Amino acid sequence: MTLYWSREWLLAEQPASRRQARVGQAYRTWLALRTNRMAMVGLTIIALLILMAIFAGVLAPFDPIQGGDLRTERLQPPSWTHLMGTDDLARDIYSRILYGSRITLMVVSLVAVIATPVGLLVGTIAGYFGGWIDNVLMRITDIFLAFPQLVLALAFVAALGPGIENAIIAIAITSWPPYARLARAETLTIRNADHIAAIQLQGASSARIIWGHVVPLCLSSVIVRVTLDMAGIILTAAGLGFLGLGAQPPQPEWGAMIAGGRQFIIDDWWVATMPGIAIFVVSLGFNFLGDGLRDVFDPKVRK
Amino acid sequence: MGMIDITDLAVTFGHGAARVQAVRGISFSVQRGESYGIVGESGSGKSTVLRALVGLAPVTKGTLALDGDTLIGRRSKAFYRRVQMVFQDPYASLHPRQTVDSVLSEPLAIHGFDDREGRVARALDDVGLGLGFRFRYPHQLSGGQRQRVAIARALILEPEVLLLDEPTSALDASIQAEVLNLLDRVRTERGLTYILVSHDLAVVAHMCERLMVMQHGRAVEELSRADLHARVATHEYTRTLLLASEGYRVSDGAAQGAAS
Repeated sequence: MTLYWSREWLLAEQPASRRQARVGQAYRTWLALRTNRMAMVGLTIIALLILMAIFAGVLAPFDPIQGGDLRTERLQPPSWTHLMGTDDLARDIYSRILYGSRITLMVVSLVAVIATPVGLLVGTIAGYFGGWIDNVLMRITDIFLAFPQLVLALAFVAALGPGIENAIIAIAITSWPPYARLARAETLTIRNADHIAAIQLQGASSARIIWGHVVPLCLSSVIVRVTLDMAGIILTAAGLGFLGLGAQPPQPEWGAMIAGGRQFIIDDWWVATMPGIAIFVVSLGFNFLGDGLRDVFDPKVRK
Repeated sequence: MGMIDITDLAVTFGHGAARVQAVRGISFSVQRGESYGIVGESGSGKSTVLRALVGLAPVTKGTLALDGDTLIGRRSKAFYRRVQMVFQDPYASLHPRQTVDSVLSEPLAIHGFDDREGRVARALDDVGLGLGFRFRYPHQLSGGQRQRVAIARALILEPEVLLLDEPTSALDASIQAEVLNLLDRVRTERGLTYILVSHDLAVVAHMCERLMVMQHGRAVEELSRADLHARVATHEYTRTLLLASEGYRVSDGAAQGAAS
């Protein structure tokens, strides 16, 4: 019991149980990721974002929605009381950014949870079966890819009505096609491999082969792509917010905050700049992590 | 009527200009418990015969039958329960993200076998791998160990027919002998029917009672092991193969002597 979870236990050449083998494999991936400095910077940024979102209530000195005195506290420059200044409704921008991280995190994780499985399934099914199934699924994908993502999301939000939930749905609907393409391309290279033939000869159903054998091999490259797309998703959400179709006032969404600060950008630069910096840092974090994951997952780049 | 009857089999890939006739009319029959060899150079269509038999290659002409039942279209689960295959390249035939345990458990789950834990342990033991290998990933195994896992996977469903597609050509000479001995032992123990495909006449002569020589998708001639030892090959191409394998056999014999 003392050896449990020790380094030796994790890296054992002869694991004694299923769990040890699985945990050991995850630990090896982690060791590879740990040596990648960019990935660790990205991971730290994202960990901080998550902590910010969880502890926003504790960390924020002011209410994010209810502003101060409109006569004396409007558009204050950054100071010790208001670390990032105040906006035109006398709200503390620092507090709003802290609470805004919740919205950003929600958008990012919901889009990933909705779009990734859809893209994976469409792509692997199309790639595995080929023929007319492939044609139908891929032409649908092409239709989605024919529009710029923001424009298509805009159309969906316009149809569904403005609001952060609809923005998330719209972004998810428009962001799965690249994953489907990627998963299909991966599947085509795996489909004729001997180990797929072997499991076919074991009498496995197509669903079992796709889910148990093809998807795990496509997953790593799709995860990398999703992570790299996170920045784009944040920007799209911010863009929708900026256009007034995403989060509605007084919600502290970063894109909407930039839009609000637009009128004062010359005289009171901090109103638009602070949420802009937040978007920039978080996007950068996801891009770093994505690059790092690609280095770890893709054996061709590893050496 | 044998265990496996193949009559006038033809396999064609692609259409138009890209049309390739891999197999052009092959007939043979394998009796229950027999070991049958198919020899030929690469591209002669010998592996395609096996792949057509299990439904991995399209049959354009001819009939295939297992134990008298004609095989048409998609093979049933019951077919795969009786016929299993070992592939040439053990580096490609094991899923890179699955442990030996899941490779061996999955066929048991598909066919609803009981006592899966015990069967996996026994299968590993049968192919000379200890329980220490059970939760390893393929990248933690050598080529010979991987091929043993592939053989264990084929045997775990207790099939009657084992199709061997160049099972040793990706392994080095000393491991080759070990794997061939393993296959020989398993066949005697379980009374299996083998079809062994190889480019190496020495391997086929060691393993098989009868063999067919293939060239350019056609059968050149059929020989028994006795014919082979007596050098009664009638066809020029078979003689060339025999000559080539003799040069090989000197070093092969030395390697086997060293191994034992």
